[in-house]
This record gives sequence, C-alpha cells and structure tokens, in this order.
Amino acid sequence: MAVAWIGNRETLVERAAAHAAALLGSSRCPVFSLDTDIHGTRAAIALAERVGAAYDHVDGAVVSRETALFTDKGAMTVAPGETRRRADVVVIVGELPQIHHEFVGELSATVPDLSAPDLSAKNQREIFLVGSNGTSAPPLSNGRTATLLSCGEASLGATLAALRAQWKGRQTSQPVSNFDDFTKALEAAHFPVFLFSGDATEGLALEMLQGLITDLNRKSRASGLHLPASENGWGSALASTWMTGFPLRTGFARGFPEFDPWRYDVARMIAAGEADLHLRISSSIVQPQKKQTRKNRMALIALAKTQEPIAGAAVTIAIGEAGVDHEAVVYSGRTGSLRSIDARAASELPSAATVIRLVASHVSAEAALPC
Amino acid sequence: MLTKIAGGDIIDPVNGRLGKGDLWIRDDKIVAAPAGGAAERTIDAAGCIVMAGAIDIHSHIGGGNVNTARLLLPEQHAAHQARPATTPLSNAGWSTFQTGCLYAKMGFTTVVEPAMSPGAALHTHLELADIPIIDKATLAILGNDDFLLSMIRDDASSQMIEDYVAWTVASTRALGVKVINAGAAAAFKENVRTFSLDDVVPSYGVSSRKIVKTLQAAVDSLGVPHPLHVHCNNLGSPGSADTAAATIAAAEGLPLHLAHLQFYGYGTEGKRRFSSAAARLAELVNATPEVTIDIGQVMFGQTVTVSSDVMRQFSARGSAQPKKSVIHDGDGNGGGVVPYSYGKDFYGTMQWAIGLELFLLIDDPWRVFFTTDHPNGAPFTAYPALFELLMSREARTEMIAGLPKSAMALSTLAAVDREYTFEEIAIMTRAAPAKLLGLSDRGHLGAGAIADIAVYRRNWSIAKMLGQAAYVFKDGDLVVQDGEITHYRWGKALRLNPSPDKAMVRRLEDYHQQRYGLSLDWFNFPDSAIAREQPFGEVACRT
Repeated sequence: MAVAWIGNRETLVERAAAHAAALLGSSRCPVFSLDTDIHGTRAAIALAERVGAAYDHVDGAVVSRETALFTDKGAMTVAPGETRRRADVVVIVGELPQIHHEFVGELSATVPDLSAPDLSAKNQREIFLVGSNGTSAPPLSNGRTATLLSCGEASLGATLAALRAQWKGRQTSQPVSNFDDFTKALEAAHFPVFLFSGDATEGLALEMLQGLITDLNRKSRASGLHLPASENGWGSALASTWMTGFPLRTGFARGFPEFDPWRYDVARMIAAGEADLHLRISSSIVQPQKKQTRKNRMALIALAKTQEPIAGAAVTIAIGEAGVDHEAVVYSGRTGSLRSIDARAASELPSAATVIRLVASHVSAEAALPC
Repeated sequence: MLTKIAGGDIIDPVNGRLGKGDLWIRDDKIVAAPAGGAAERTIDAAGCIVMAGAIDIHSHIGGGNVNTARLLLPEQHAAHQARPATTPLSNAGWSTFQTGCLYAKMGFTTVVEPAMSPGAALHTHLELADIPIIDKATLAILGNDDFLLSMIRDDASSQMIEDYVAWTVASTRALGVKVINAGAAAAFKENVRTFSLDDVVPSYGVSSRKIVKTLQAAVDSLGVPHPLHVHCNNLGSPGSADTAAATIAAAEGLPLHLAHLQFYGYGTEGKRRFSSAAARLAELVNATPEVTIDIGQVMFGQTVTVSSDVMRQFSARGSAQPKKSVIHDGDGNGGGVVPYSYGKDFYGTMQWAIGLELFLLIDDPWRVFFTTDHPNGAPFTAYPALFELLMSREARTEMIAGLPKSAMALSTLAAVDREYTFEEIAIMTRAAPAKLLGLSDRGHLGAGAIADIAVYRRNWSIAKMLGQAAYVFKDGDLVVQDGEITHYRWGKALRLNPSPDKAMVRRLEDYHQQRYGLSLDWFNFPDSAIAREQPFGEVACRT
C-alpha cells in the first residue's frame, strides 16, 4: 500500500518527508492545524518552533472558546468520576457533543454513591437541560427526559443570565420555564453539577454559567463538568500549555512563542491569505485543497489516514489513527485527564509523531528536536 | 571520559571534604583520584567553590494544577527573547523546557514535584519528561480519596492500608507520599469551609489526625525513604501556628516532614491579629528530632498560588490578583489556582520575615529545607536572592530598612545575627535532601556518587554567584558553562517500585468498575507512554 505522495505521484515516505521539509523551510508563513494525540502534538509544536509556524486545532474556534474561559475568567470545575459519584442534580448546559452522550446516559442510569443524598422516592438524579425550546438533550436511560429550563427562543447566554438573575431573586424580562422545579431541586441538592462544552456555547454564556456556579457556592456546593468539544483538541491545548506556556493559537513567527487567539487563528490566517503553507495533521478525512487563487497561493502538506493522495496537496503522507493503528496517549473526557490507549487494530501505518519527526529531521538545525 | 575539576574549594560535608582540591569524574560517576591518571578534560576551578548538584525537595514544576496555572495566566509569562539554537523551546515562557534550563543554570540537578494526583499520574510524568537536563521525582497525594477514607472508617488492617499505599506509589511511579490538608477536600465537597486537625470528615467519621497518622505509619512500615510529606490544615490562617504545633506533636517519634512551614508561622498578636510565631515553631522543630520541614519562603512580587488544598484555595479566591482563579473538585484532592502578588505591605512583610526567621532559628541544617514552595511563595528563580538573604545579615538589614516597621516590630528577624555558611548551604540544599529522599547516589562528592556537580565562581554578590553557575555537570555531562546551557539532555523521573499485592489490585479493579464504571486500565499506563528512553530511575525502599 502506498503511504506517501508528492502531488499525485507515489513516492517513498522518506522522500515525501524531505520534500515537506523543503516546503516548510522555504515558507514565509507556515501554519499547522492539528487533530492528533499528545505525542503528535508534541512533535508538531517542536517542528513549529523550528520553522516559525503558528498552530491551532482543526476546529480552532471551539477549542479557543473553551480555552478563553480559563485564560480570561477562570472556572470552578469537577472531575467526571466525582460527578458520577456525587452529583445528585445534573444540569446539561446547551447541546453537548456526541462523544459525551454515553456518559450523560450513564449518569441518568446511576445514582450517586457518595454523601448519601436524599434522592426522594425517585431514587435517581434530577436532570435539567438549559437551552431554547429546540435544544435536545443526550438520550437518557429508561426514556427519561430532562426538565427544560428555557426562555423560549432566547439564546443560551440569555437563558443562563435569566436563570442566574432569578436564582438571586431579581426581575427578568422573561421567566425561565420550570424554574420552581429547578429551585426545589437545588435547595435539596448536595452537589449539583453543570455539564458544559464550548461546542454550542458562546464564550459569554460560559462565563455566565461560571457566575451562576459561583453564586451557588456562596452557601452550598456546586460545580461544572467541562466536557471538551474535542478531546484531541483539549489534549493538544494541554500539551501546548506545558511546552510553551500557552494554549493553542500560538505562533513562533518571531522565534519564540506568542499566544494570540486572533492573530494565530489558523482558519483566519488561511482565509485572509496570510499563510503560504498549511500542514494539516489529522487521521480523519481531509478536505481537498481549494483551488489556488492569486490571493491564496497556499500549499498543503497533508498527514492523514488515507489510501490516496489528498486532491491539491503538495505532499500527502499516510498516518495511522491513535488508538486504532498504534498505541497513544490521548485526553479522555471520561476521566478528565490523559490516558494511555492500546492499538485496537495495530497496523504498519506510522503515527503522526513519527512522521513529523521524520519531516523535522530534514529541516536544518543545530540541535535535535526536544520531542 | 576522565575529567578533572582542578583547584576548586570543595565543599562536601558528607565526606568531610572542605578545602582546595581536585575532583575526578569518569563518565557519569565521581571517582577517586586515579593513580597517575591523565585527565582527558580539565576544568579550571581556581577561585570557585565546588559542590554536589543541588536538590529541591518541594517545587511545583509539573502536573495538572501547574498546567492549569499556566493556562489561567498567559499574560504572566510572555517570552522575551529569541531562543538559542541549541536549547529548543527553553525560552518558551513558563514552560517545562524553561524550567529545566533555569534550574540547571543555578546548579540544581534534581527537583521534586511534591503533589501528583494519582489519577493524573500520566499527565504529570509527561510534563516531567519534557523538563530537560535535571532528574525529577514526584510524590503521590493520598488522604482525601474515598478508597483510603473508607478503609480507615471501616477499620481496615494496617496491612491492607499499606498494600493500597504501595499500589498507589508503584502505579503512579512516585518517590513518596504526600497528604494535603488531610480530609479537607472530601469535607469541602460536603460544604465544610474550615477544617482542623481533629475535625472529622462527614460521611466517613474519620479525623484529619487519624488520616495523617495512618499514612505516616504506612509510609514508615513500607520503608519509603521519604517520611510522609504533610501539608497541614489551616494553611495561611492567623493562628495556624497552633495547627502546625499540634501536627509536630503528632509525629510521636516517627519521621514526619512538614511542608512550607512559613505558611503556618502566623500568630494572632497585634492590632491586626497577625504576627510571627516563627520563634515558637522553630523551638518546637529544634526539640523534635523526628520532624523535618521546608520553608516555602515568600519573596516580594507577582506569583500564582497552586495547591491541591482546594478548601484553602477556594477561601483565597477573593484575594486573586489578577481577579481570576480555578477551583477543581478532583477525585481525591483536586486543587485551586489563585494568582497573587506579595506586596511590601504589613502582611507581605510579615510573611517574608517569618520564613527567614524559621530558616535562621532552626538550628540543624539537616532538618530545614530550602524552598519557596515554587510558585506559591515565589518562583524558584528567586533562589539566588534568597541565598543572599540567608548568608548575609547586611543584605537582610538593607531589605528591612525599606519595609513597614509595624510588621518588623512583630518579628524577631532584625535581631537575628546568624549567617549561613557555604557548608550549611551544601547540607541544606544537597546532603540533607538526598538523605531525606533516600538518594544515596547524590548530594555528595564521594567516589561512586553520580557526577552531579555545581561549580560557582566566587563573587562579592552571593546572588550572582549562586544564580549563575560557572560549570554544572549532570551525570558527568557538562550542561552549563558560565551560566549558559551548553548541552541539552534528558533526565529521569526517580521512583520507588514496591510490588503491589495481587489481592489489592483485584479489589481496586472491582472498586473502579463499581464506583467509576471504568476498568483500572483507564488509569494505568506503560512506561512506553512517556515516549522517552529510560524515563524512570528506580530508587530502593528501606529494608
């Protein structure tokens, strides 16, 4: 099976890596977009430093929203395991990504085993959903439905603001539906937990949610469970933070890392024609390169799980999928930390980290890469 | 390679070597002077002092809470200079890479991250593995975890508790065990807001004292070289000296290490009801030989407090500067990140003075350890200035002159004449930490020790002298010359490896399945997950 191409021409991986390195070496504004495991991220950041690239997640806007909650505001959070063991009231904030639906279902099918809460005659956790009328909750066990807390068609942020205001006894222009049930549940609760993600929740809504959690903690306990929209994205953000001091949307254009969530928004840099080379690292499907225009003459180097060259890419190198083709370390929303996973169907496809290091070995430098 | 460090003033209290002489290295070890041997490399150490590489026993350099602090504060560590080509990522702000380089430049060759949440062991070790040059180690946190509290509540046998502690240490690749505000994080989840040594954790009926004593006994019985590392209750509160005194008394003849004692050195005298109780605590430490302490010195300026004492960090949120914080309820302790700036006001001065009093009033340098509890009291980059304050009464006097008299009036610091000698510095930062951690292969310059060596050129400025080593060797590699990194290498994480009891592993597997709905495999990891050659170095337990 061919695993590397220069343009549409099959070639050796070594030769494709050398060609990719030459493109990176001659690029004036290279950008990387990542959807990879921890070691793929580490290798990519080390390469980014060497070639002066900026890097971001492939779905950078969502990860950036979650990152901004921490860089700009801070948060009160709780571990997933503690949520399972302690949360007697679960509040789903907006629509959650599919990858976390199973855990929400598990929460609805189990009861806390810590702090012996009074679960009333139902013997189950109370589950609420904050959102507009059309917001849907993940499937719950036994056909249960979450109690909707909404202000009609108001945005999630506006609904959370109304919820917070009503909780503090203030007037709102539109009352939150089922607020009395919510109040009753919170007053009886030992440890309510709000499940949130940056997927469908804008930044101000995330801040408003944290304000509500802070208010609740003045007299009792509550916290938020961060369920990242992209587990790879959050893992990359963590690795970037320890390696450079900064999360994703960091660039090495001036030889040292600079974090700027607007300037190093890789999607924006590509759309604006600032980038002249795009290294995309993702074992998932890669979109064909858009036709080059006078404004956008950007070349694409694609590291993807593919059996054929990516249309329009200057270089394509096939990589394996973390946890499928090779063992890996990934972020797990289920444990709230990094996890080592075995290969489910080990193959000879190289990991992203292996290929990136191969590319880096062809970039001239005085020192070996640190990872 | 045979290397001779020639003509330096050697300071090696362990082997009684004090004075001018040569030191020989063959490859990665210190060796006796070879008969007629010709060095392949000679380092001229004339005008320099030569000590073993320094060891920091308590510095938060990696792991979940530290990384959260980085994430919370991108504005605090903007990189300011282009990278040297030979040290990839080492000028990358407040990063793992910079951490290793900065420590090495000061002559430190081993650093202990003292607070690893067992559930985040893989994350912690990945960060430690990205800290270049130096060796690292970490302590596993226990004492707020449901499994242990339930065992204590249910009167489990001491053997079962030891099996659990051994499994935790082995599976997390730790060098020891730490307990942080024992029971308080569990109590905080049940809305308890203050927690003292004899308070009881709701739902468990177990006191903080009982948790500490249980872990102290287990650590001792297992032969873990480092005594139980205790972060006491009531950190930072006026009157916390009473808690520290009670904890010192609770040692009861078994080894116990109290972390960052400065943060408990607070009395309640004066109109602000905040005063120095350092003299009282120093006297207690002097009289209690089984107790060791580190200081957690405060230095003035901006920093960020990072702690798994989630109850204390929650209560400190109001003083956050800048005004943002993270509070996390973890499976055991969790943690909190609260940025803070120590000003030269009454309170900041009081804290600064209390730390120095403890350093200077505790007599035995083998039992007091040099830390700022990085970054809680100050970043470790403040070490050179702190050395100067300890070694120069004049430097202290100059500093005191610019500080509030109202604070100094409640401290004995101005009346203390003691100045640390280089020999005492070598004990406090080399020999004693190695002994405390069970690292017989370092902390001294005897034949057979690993060649971790720091050479400092004498200078009128102690801070300049100890802040930029003339030469540093790590495992025989010359890694620093004239205060700059010359060789990039990767150290190891030092760990214990007690054999876990099979019945305990089965029990834990059942526990995780039942309570978390997950197999134990979700929390275990192979060494290969670290993706470095030989990421770990094994240290033996006491027999």
